[in-house]
Amino acid sequence: MSIREILESYDKITIDQEIVDGIFIFSLFGKQYLYIAPLEDNPSAMAVIFLYNDDGSDIPHIMLKEETFPGVDCIPQGKYRPVCLYEQESIVGAIMPYDAKVRDAIERLIELLSMNEIEKEREFQKEFMFYWNGNSDSHNTHNVYLDQNDSFSEFDVYYGNKSVRLVKRGIQLSDIDDRDKKGRIWTHHVENNAYYIPITDKRGILPPYRGHNWTTQTIKDIVYSEQIEHIDQHTFQVLKNTFPNTQNIIIVFGMELEKIHISFAVKIKCKNIRNHSLLEKIVDDTIDIEQLFTIRKDYYYLCEQIGNDCGLLGKNVLLIGGGSLGSYIAFELVKNGASNLKIYDGDNLEDVNVLRWAYGGIGKGSNKAIALTTMLKSIHPEINIVGINKNINQDSLLIELSFADMIVITVGSSNEQLNINRILVEAGCSIPVIYIWLEEGGINSHILFADYRHAGCFECLYTDIDGNLVNNRARKNTLSISETSIIRNGCGGTRASYGTAVLLRTTSVLLDTIHKFYDGQITQNVLIDISPNCVKISDTPFPMRECNCCGNKKDQSMY
Amino acid sequence: MKLKKEFFEFFSDIRIDTEANALREKREILVNDIKSKMPQILKDHDINITQSDIRTIDQGSYKYNTTIKSDVVDRDVAVIVSMCTDDMGDPRKFKSYLRDSIDIPSRTVSIKEPCVRASYHDHGIENLHIDLPLYAQIGSDFYLSRGKTNSSNYSWEDADPDGLNKYLCGKINGNDQLRRIICFIKKWRDEKYANANNDHEIPPSIGLTILACKLFSPQSDNEGDADLLALQKTMKAILNEFIVSKTITGEIMSAEISCPLPVRPYTDTFKKMKNSSDSYMIKFYNSLSRAVADLTDAINVESPHDAGVYVQKVLGNDFPIPQKEASYASTRNYREHSFG
Repeated sequence: MSIREILESYDKITIDQEIVDGIFIFSLFGKQYLYIAPLEDNPSAMAVIFLYNDDGSDIPHIMLKEETFPGVDCIPQGKYRPVCLYEQESIVGAIMPYDAKVRDAIERLIELLSMNEIEKEREFQKEFMFYWNGNSDSHNTHNVYLDQNDSFSEFDVYYGNKSVRLVKRGIQLSDIDDRDKKGRIWTHHVENNAYYIPITDKRGILPPYRGHNWTTQTIKDIVYSEQIEHIDQHTFQVLKNTFPNTQNIIIVFGMELEKIHISFAVKIKCKNIRNHSLLEKIVDDTIDIEQLFTIRKDYYYLCEQIGNDCGLLGKNVLLIGGGSLGSYIAFELVKNGASNLKIYDGDNLEDVNVLRWAYGGIGKGSNKAIALTTMLKSIHPEINIVGINKNINQDSLLIELSFADMIVITVGSSNEQLNINRILVEAGCSIPVIYIWLEEGGINSHILFADYRHAGCFECLYTDIDGNLVNNRARKNTLSISETSIIRNGCGGTRASYGTAVLLRTTSVLLDTIHKFYDGQITQNVLIDISPNCVKISDTPFPMRECNCCGNKKDQSMY
Repeated sequence: MKLKKEFFEFFSDIRIDTEANALREKREILVNDIKSKMPQILKDHDINITQSDIRTIDQGSYKYNTTIKSDVVDRDVAVIVSMCTDDMGDPRKFKSYLRDSIDIPSRTVSIKEPCVRASYHDHGIENLHIDLPLYAQIGSDFYLSRGKTNSSNYSWEDADPDGLNKYLCGKINGNDQLRRIICFIKKWRDEKYANANNDHEIPPSIGLTILACKLFSPQSDNEGDADLLALQKTMKAILNEFIVSKTITGEIMSAEISCPLPVRPYTDTFKKMKNSSDSYMIKFYNSLSRAVADLTDAINVESPHDAGVYVQKVLGNDFPIPQKEASYASTRNYREHSFG
């Protein structure tokens, strides 16, 4: 079928003009549209539709900007607004038959125009931030830092050069005191009280769009509705009991849209009446409002956006060892929700290490823990890293035990691992401890998850069935592989060769292991063997009731 | 069963499950006004009532959690005054005392036949009213004050407001499908009577709610509750309650349905509608017949899209219609699933 025949097959469509081959103006539901068929010689191309000479104020997904076609004389003069028919990258055009592409665009347009009021409301809400920021009055970007979505909160307001930070009280931003040549980058301003108000029922709340601007009444309807309770009763009570001490206020509203939380800020200009509660100011004193260009930037939100497991959020993680494996793991822990990390390592980063150091040559010559601290902090201002320029000892480990929620041990030395294990067992450690180590040669690596309230400890791996101490039974490498994978530097020091693939592989399994733990899938101590071909629960006997560290000295019923 | 997701979505869209903050605040202020001012007003008329003799109870959809969105928020709060028989007097006067206790500029107060109404306006348009049925409590007996200010038809009517609440809460609480079906029936009523000129033309919520409770047909399958089928069967059962007279040619001469209150005074909840005009009942019957036919068609057609179109005829344009399978199928195989 030709494109014209396809269009004519729809009863609701009347073709008004065929401009050139594949480009039409047609009428549908009382409005005119410009239809540009997909290019036949571009397999990924899709059809494009423009609303013609109409602002489309009551139709969702009509772009705000008008399009022009300079130099294309055949297209009639007029206003063209693109109709957004496809979510970005939602359709694989390259595998779609040409006729189907032509029809698909039409079907989507008809569906868009046939929506009932509730469906339209949902579609407008989907693009809430697009409309909000597109209609904002402010010159400054307002960056919001929260650590939750559901509770009323107060912000501190900091002004920078071209942006404003709204930081929930209690959140520490590591760069808030930074300075440049002109002085402080962020200045704490107190002339605006700022508050976060979560919206719990979003029905009827539309973004500002053409001809539907927000007014003081819109704000009032949200906080003081008679039918739909947009904000919950607790928040309402807090509004009644909160007394701003400034004339104008900034409100950041939060709302969940299809599992995504959005935040949008509005400045409320009020009459100068003292001793009015926040609720009274919003309901009775508001003179004018200013929509503020808003971007949510907090660590919690960014974790939520990329689908991070929330198990690690807010946890204090102690990382013992900041070498090659430690550097990769530290980086990923921080990107996966562990914003409070303490790292112990007494070594310096040498030239020979840089190719298997997560940050390449940055920090060369300095202490590994300190170098990691500097780099990790640059990821986000809420990340709180403490680097300790020494190897952990018994005293410091026992002190850290009372602050940490999880210990991750990436030291490769069996002596250190066994020593740490002993200290933790004897201290009655009740937090999860994860030992991770690599074998030389870059093939095999292991993870031992230990919760000392359950049977099994690291020393079990060094214990045979007679209770004798032996070498690590989990080892997969043979002695010959071991010998060929050791690099000796001629002065007594040795270095194991293993490349970086094993670092990435092991780090990835660690993240899965942590996820499984917080998801409740790990309920006992477990040893995991990792190789290029397989990740599996180890067949090495574990735990060992004959273990002199955790077994014989403990209640045998655990085994 | 088709349209489960759509019924779930629709219910979420239309229901009001919480008393909104502004409404709660207005109600609390209203109740405080009654308790603080009414005893003095009564005392001025030689009736000695203290604040502790006055109590209020929630009634209506907010009590049963069957409220749906509407243009005007309608809240029912019963005012119960403990008194002795000698104090009862003229119920119209008693209602005027209640009116006087709440008559301030921020609300418009009027006396209706079964209650006193406090109305609130936004930019000149009524957007909320709180109806206050007034009961006299004599020992364990209750009497509803009936009659408009100057009406010759007035009485203290035997009543059981707590009993009615107990009956309906007992039926609805813990039965989520019934609650949804009641909301859907009320939504259907609102759609069909959106242009009604007269309150008595409209089937009353209390009648529809009691009928739904009595005739509810729970329906589910292995995928959970089947609301389409439950709605069709319940509405059909209500339809079957009508007694219809027809001419030889099949034209409906009369249609009647009765639904007595399940507690004292056991009066027919459709009495006013019946007494106002025969045509009101015929319209009610015809509308209900059409709805049952449309819901039956929705059940019988194969396509969820077509079923949605039929349900939309019953529940209004806000009911979501699933996409046509053909158009869905045409793009289903071309959706992007990869990310880089």
